[in-house]
Amino acid sequence: MNFRQFAIKNVRGNWHQYVAYFLSSVFSVMIFFIYAAFIFHPDVVHGHIHAAKGVRTGMLFCEYIIAIFSFFFILYSMSAFLKSRKKEFGLLSLFGMTRGQMRRMVLYENIATSLLAIGTGIAFGTLFLKLFFMALSTILEMEHPIRFFIAGKALLLTAAGFFVLFLFITLITLFQVGRSQIIDLLKASKKPKSPPLASKWLVLLSVCCLGAGYYLAYTMNMSNAIVYMLPVVALVVAGTFFLFTQASVIIFRWLQRRKSVYYKQTNLMTISQLVFKMKDNARILFTVSVMSAVILTASGTFYVFFLGSKEQLMDSVPQTISFYEKGLNTHDVLDPEKVRTILKEDRVGISYEVQLVGASAQLPAIGRSLETSTALIISEESYNEYGHKMHRDRPLLSVDPGHAVYVIPYTGVSGSLVETGKPLPVKINDGATELPLTVDRQVSGGSIAYPRGAATELLVVDAAQYTQLLQGVPDDKKTVVYGFELKNWTSQGDTAAKIEALVPEDMKGQFDNRVARYEETKQSMALTLFIGLFISVLFFIASGSMIYFKLFTELEEDRDQFRALNRIGMTAAEIRRTVTTQIAIIFFVPCLVGIVHTMFAMKSLGNLLVVSAMQYSLVVVGIYIVMQSLYFFAARRSYLNKIAKSFTS
Amino acid sequence: MSVLKAQGLTKVYGSKGKMLYRALSDIDLDIQKGEFVGVMGPSGSGKTTLLNILATIDKATSGKVEIGGVNPAVLDDKKLALFRRRELGFIFQDFNLLDTLSIKENIILPLVLDNTNIKEIEKRLQQSAELLGISAILDKRTYEVSGGQKQRAAIARAMIHQPAILLADELTGNLDSKSAKDVMDSLKDLNEQMGATIMMVTHDPFAASYCKRIVFIKDGSFFSEIRRGTNRQAFFQQILDSLSVLGGNFDELSAVRN
Repeated sequence: MNFRQFAIKNVRGNWHQYVAYFLSSVFSVMIFFIYAAFIFHPDVVHGHIHAAKGVRTGMLFCEYIIAIFSFFFILYSMSAFLKSRKKEFGLLSLFGMTRGQMRRMVLYENIATSLLAIGTGIAFGTLFLKLFFMALSTILEMEHPIRFFIAGKALLLTAAGFFVLFLFITLITLFQVGRSQIIDLLKASKKPKSPPLASKWLVLLSVCCLGAGYYLAYTMNMSNAIVYMLPVVALVVAGTFFLFTQASVIIFRWLQRRKSVYYKQTNLMTISQLVFKMKDNARILFTVSVMSAVILTASGTFYVFFLGSKEQLMDSVPQTISFYEKGLNTHDVLDPEKVRTILKEDRVGISYEVQLVGASAQLPAIGRSLETSTALIISEESYNEYGHKMHRDRPLLSVDPGHAVYVIPYTGVSGSLVETGKPLPVKINDGATELPLTVDRQVSGGSIAYPRGAATELLVVDAAQYTQLLQGVPDDKKTVVYGFELKNWTSQGDTAAKIEALVPEDMKGQFDNRVARYEETKQSMALTLFIGLFISVLFFIASGSMIYFKLFTELEEDRDQFRALNRIGMTAAEIRRTVTTQIAIIFFVPCLVGIVHTMFAMKSLGNLLVVSAMQYSLVVVGIYIVMQSLYFFAARRSYLNKIAKSFTS
Repeated sequence: MSVLKAQGLTKVYGSKGKMLYRALSDIDLDIQKGEFVGVMGPSGSGKTTLLNILATIDKATSGKVEIGGVNPAVLDDKKLALFRRRELGFIFQDFNLLDTLSIKENIILPLVLDNTNIKEIEKRLQQSAELLGISAILDKRTYEVSGGQKQRAAIARAMIHQPAILLADELTGNLDSKSAKDVMDSLKDLNEQMGATIMMVTHDPFAASYCKRIVFIKDGSFFSEIRRGTNRQAFFQQILDSLSVLGGNFDELSAVRN
């Protein structure tokens, strides 16, 4: 056995400690490589692929994130490994291994693991590359999928980049090796653990920080977001830190004083060991919590934007085919008859049609830079009829003669754009007629038909008054808003495109095809989700691997304890129970804290976007819990297997 | 009344086709209620193997053990653990106290595992602690007390559930002579005042001199047996004589104390 073989044997011997870290490294190499393969793909570089440029920029950004994240993750993991092997180093120096030899040993070990991680990562990357390209091609709706090709540059960048990264971090960590006295190294794990202390005031501070942070997040809105954002993050992060370092101790201490709980079978073991485990691992748990919150918030935000954009689209283009014409009988944009013909030809059903006739009115504006607001006068009958057909919770309006309701399409606006409760001079027919109307209230986000041009804002009046007003306006001054809501609209792209082709080029501004708009947002959102997904998974795997590693560093100590307990008659089932509870708490408490943080972050996001983000983010949270559970079961299984070896029965 | 009865215990290590090693051969042992028995023998004589088999954490190749009328060999793993918890008390050389628990919590662990009610736990704890002279250190952590105190706490843990027999393995091995004396005095009190049945494996002639009867084994077989009269000093001399007859490798570090 030469020195190099000795080093490699060390790695193999410590395999169960390395495995989670190794897999995380493999995964980051793999993702980095797959992204690089796309970025350096000749078809992408030469611009043969439509829309590839934006994707490429996104992926480049992700590459930086992966690199920075990998740096910190590997740095943390490597120094943690060295710390866990203090005793081994003590023994080696006792046998006369010099500091230089020890460093060389660590260097060999790390080179071996990093080469293996890079190799495996690239191998898996190559394996999944075709699949990745196919998925990407589907999302980009390309006729010919991106061909399988591994650019030399991608290979070189990944291999060399990560090798340099590993080597650089190894060199940093090497400073730790051989610095302490042999006796300290040998005794490292035997040092008695003093019972963790916690200050009530810091716990109170933690509660106050979290409470204040949550309160601010809950009440965040458009106007205070910029002021609140940083304090919220700072408060929550500080609160979380003290929650794990202080509050955990206080909570378990409190449980220890409740004898009826504490002195109940395995609770004694579980709680007393958790006091130490939580305190020892407070920093890790804190980091994992914050990371979970970041992953969840980021993924949740993407998801909310994705779903929210569809909602917004439904408001901004209320019917699948929407357009407006100036003049009652003009068809400069599109003849509705032609639309019906095409729909019939293609056998596409119509849910309902909109033909909203109105007249432009000017009235004094408030709360914005314009002096006058322009709105389309329509009748309450039409509004209620179409509003009902939309199934989008439009209010049922009932307006008295001489009064009106002001309807704007913007959901987020809470301030009035016209003065309410007092008669306003409303000008119709280019100022030829003027009459006083009292605006009772304003409906924000209440569009019922294509809110564009003259029809952007609506002035809803009672039916009799509407008829009377419209009589005084010549037909060519009237505005008509047309809308065709198609059945099963999301899959009527071809028909919608056929209709759109009939619209003259200079009239496109008065026409909208919602299917095309939807496809566009769907594509860009799906792309963002797809690319971002891997980064989320990477973060997730790495955070789990930190807990996993911590668990296995303490395995030796725990194993001795459980062996003794087994001897004095603790059954294997009881040991499994206490171990399961402990591991579950270590895995799920940070996950839970992260989820609560995310819920509040989603609440403020919801406030900002005026959508209910919380429900949507539950999907992301659900996926996260499932994945964390899988991680937990895997960790518990291998931990119990390791411990079970020492049982006699 | 016989508390522990072993007949023809034999333990053979090794598997088919390989060299066999006979660690124990045909050992008989009968321990009556209230006895204080020591097992002595040179290194490699099979003391620990014997203790492990009696402690039910190892199984004999042949022969039969009966503790309190029960044959542990017929119990399944779970029942065996419960049997150890209820019928046996263990004292180890390296104490095996848990760092995460206070002295008190360490002692009451067997009762807590068995879901004993809290009043009963507190009552038994007071009794044991008083007898062993550790009432003052109950709330301390394991690293705040001396080795002798730790071992006495371990004795308290081993007896708090009133087991049929206490099994001790080199319990003075990690202690200085003063602490060893304190621990052995405690064990003697336990035996004489509470009538606890004790079996102890040891190298140390001084510790052994507290026993009422000593069984010597050599190369896995029964060698001789001596019983104590009234005088412990004389018994100590008798042990030294027997050991010199027995020969073999005794741990030289645990040489004569007194």
